[in-house]
Amino acid sequence: MSSTSQKHKEFVAEPMGEKSVMALAGIGEVLGKRLEEKGFDKAYVVLGQFLVLKKDEELFRDWLKDTCGANAKQQGDCYSCLREWCDSFL
Amino acid sequence: MAAAQLTDEELFSELKRLGFTPGPVTENTRPVYLKKLKKLRDEQQQRSRGAKGRSSGGGGSSVSINNNNSSGGGGGGNGHPAAGAAAVRARSAGARQLLNAKRPDRAGKFVLGFSSDESDAEPPRHKAGLNHSDSRRDRGSGLGLQSLRPPQESGAGVSASGPSKSPVGLLEARRSVLGSSPWWADRCKASLGETERSSRALNGNRSPYSLNSSKLAGDYSDTDEEEEEELEERERQRERRLLSRRSLSKASPSLSGVMGENGGDMGSSSISPKNHVDGGEGAAAGSSSTFSLGLRPRFSSSSYNSLSTTYRPNHSNHTGSNHSYGQAGTKRKQPAPEDELLEQFRREEVSGTGGFSAHYLSMFLLTAACLFFVLLGLMYLRMRGSGSTEGVVIKNHPFGAEFDSSYVTIKHVIEIVILNNILTSLSGEHDCKDLNQPLNRSISFSEAAEFLKLQNTDYEDWVQISLEWIIKTGEIVGIRLIAADPTQAVEEVSDISRLESTHPHMSFICRFRRAFFTVIYRVLLILAGIGVVWTLLYYMKYRWRREEEETRQMYDMVERIIDVLRSHNEACQENKDLQPYLPIPHVRDSLVQPHDRKKMKKVWDRAVSFLSANESRIRTETQRIGGADFLVWRWLQPSMSCDKLCSMPSKVWQGKAFPLDRRNSPPNSLTPCLKIRNMFDPVMEVGENWHLAIHEAILEKCSDNDGIVHIAVDKNSREGCVYVKCLSAEHAGKAFKALHGSWFDGKLVTVKYLRLDRYHQRFPQALGCNTPLKASSSSMNTMARLHQRSSTSSTLGFS
Repeated sequence: MSSTSQKHKEFVAEPMGEKSVMALAGIGEVLGKRLEEKGFDKAYVVLGQFLVLKKDEELFRDWLKDTCGANAKQQGDCYSCLREWCDSFL
Repeated sequence: MAAAQLTDEELFSELKRLGFTPGPVTENTRPVYLKKLKKLRDEQQQRSRGAKGRSSGGGGSSVSINNNNSSGGGGGGNGHPAAGAAAVRARSAGARQLLNAKRPDRAGKFVLGFSSDESDAEPPRHKAGLNHSDSRRDRGSGLGLQSLRPPQESGAGVSASGPSKSPVGLLEARRSVLGSSPWWADRCKASLGETERSSRALNGNRSPYSLNSSKLAGDYSDTDEEEEEELEERERQRERRLLSRRSLSKASPSLSGVMGENGGDMGSSSISPKNHVDGGEGAAAGSSSTFSLGLRPRFSSSSYNSLSTTYRPNHSNHTGSNHSYGQAGTKRKQPAPEDELLEQFRREEVSGTGGFSAHYLSMFLLTAACLFFVLLGLMYLRMRGSGSTEGVVIKNHPFGAEFDSSYVTIKHVIEIVILNNILTSLSGEHDCKDLNQPLNRSISFSEAAEFLKLQNTDYEDWVQISLEWIIKTGEIVGIRLIAADPTQAVEEVSDISRLESTHPHMSFICRFRRAFFTVIYRVLLILAGIGVVWTLLYYMKYRWRREEEETRQMYDMVERIIDVLRSHNEACQENKDLQPYLPIPHVRDSLVQPHDRKKMKKVWDRAVSFLSANESRIRTETQRIGGADFLVWRWLQPSMSCDKLCSMPSKVWQGKAFPLDRRNSPPNSLTPCLKIRNMFDPVMEVGENWHLAIHEAILEKCSDNDGIVHIAVDKNSREGCVYVKCLSAEHAGKAFKALHGSWFDGKLVTVKYLRLDRYHQRFPQALGCNTPLKASSSSMNTMARLHQRSSTSSTLGFS
């Protein structure tokens, strides 16, 4: 139906709790590992960063790219996933 | 733009100035914001260049405004419409119109502060109070600056309006600075409406960079805007003055000089107020120096470029020269901002630690080399000192005029020399040959005398005299006279029994070897000493660590024992058949694995002694168990309350986390089956029947919902899943709303819909369930406790 993936839907449907960072849409094993190395081991830490950047798309995408080398699609997925989650739960 | 190293605050304010509200600048967000800053600056440049095209439209109106302005006074009103129009145009161009954004603000201010009188009212806003008076003066003096103004103005995209245009070039940040408006007003009033405009435009172009220079200015005022304002003012004035001077002198060379300096000097902020004072007078040369302080050639040059298009008829003669000069400046400035940012990036990347260790390494090498050379020098000196002193010259003749001075002296010298030779060679041999041969270091007096006699019979007499002389003279001639009794000093010649040389003459090899060995031995000694010290320290550290480790283990063991005893006690409460004490060996064997027992023996013993000494809740006693006497532990503390052992007090509903709305729950219930996650932690559960408590909890939570027909707790799932089947999708939907997002036992529960066929696959027994389940007890334990528990749980010390 929409252009969101299964992962996105799953993530957005419920509070993230202690979900690993790999539960984020767009973040797979490789990126997840890189994020964990930088200290972002849980999805809520990435959420924290997202909020600190004031939910700004461009900044968050840049940050994601710098931190784990995500490509444009992955950045977009992650951003929209987090944004939707925030809309629902924040 | 000469921001050498932006601190977080500077970065933050810079971004704000550029019209972007950043979030907090932390270590994580810093690089992102730096990139953003760079991008914004780039865009600014582009926009200023692009704006020139747009500004051409306003050129027509500018002419009329200029005319009005040149008439002097009250021109502000004229300026406004044009300014407003330009502002609107500019604003529509984009949100980040750094240059244009200022325009509307300025325009508004113009109405208010157009009269020169008002400018007086606003001096406090000006940091550089001198600006005001100076501006007025400048206004009066500036005359022919028009050549530069129009180009600059258009460059800033402000060409449309007259005096009001000057603000256009400024950043939004300047918006609030009312202080500048009177200044502008003053300028407007001047007959050099254009000059001011263009200078302002120039300033405006420069504004982004002036921000940096304002930082450099040192007083970082409470409002960035004021700071910028001040700097901008200064720049403007400088520029104005410079332009005025230039116009006065009508010398294009001055302009070129200015441009050259501008290129190099953008960031300097050491503007002294007295600059304004110069006013419009002064030669072009003087102007160039001041102008170099603030002019930003990039913008000015860009403005110059645009000038050619929107040039006003009466200033054609100057435009051409301006244009050419403008080009040079641009390029110089362009790389500057990027370079600074890049530098900043690079600086951040360079880790301090790498340089740190390299520095230490180099220092160490240096000191080692120095020490080596010092050592070498010492060795050399020692060898030199141990060399023979054949060249001893007796300077003083203590015997005075008793002898024929020279002749006798020579004789003495010879004698002594010979003696020295003998003695030194003797000593040298003696010392050098490792004392293996029973050479005597000294020769007896008689032997010496005999030897001398052999040399020359005349010496016989002189032996006495010379020896006397040696005794009397305080000089060291290299011969030591030893009396019969070695400890006694020699007073008379008759006391002398032996002669010894104090300066052994050794061959070079020998000397070198000795020195070498000495050094080696010394070095080895030092190393050995250091090694010993180091070993000692290491050993001590090791021991200390070991002890700590053991202590930690001991405490750990103690805690485990306490836990065991306590739980045993609780079990005893329930089960009255058990003995309320536990044998110590049994406890040990249950806590410590067999293969660890030997290792942990020490720890265990320490723990036991610790418990007996420090733990008041455990008593050690002797009991007879199974016919043998055991030392047992008895837990003494009475249990806190019976609530603890009754129903599972921990499993309660604790409220809702978030309101369920469209986005986080499906709009309609999809299936009659639910999968509830995170209701328990299988690792933590003890006992057999805890799942019943879960059942209870769910039923109680959905007590209003009579449609739950089957509940299954998946005991093995890591996520704490519970499967629920309802009578219909609608019931499931109600249950969903009740359960999803609630807190249970400290965990956030989430619910998902499950397909019916899958559910039946998994739980075939649910196929036939049709009767709604009800909570077994009507007392709503898990819900009502919500209020009670909060008060009791704090007082009870649950283990």
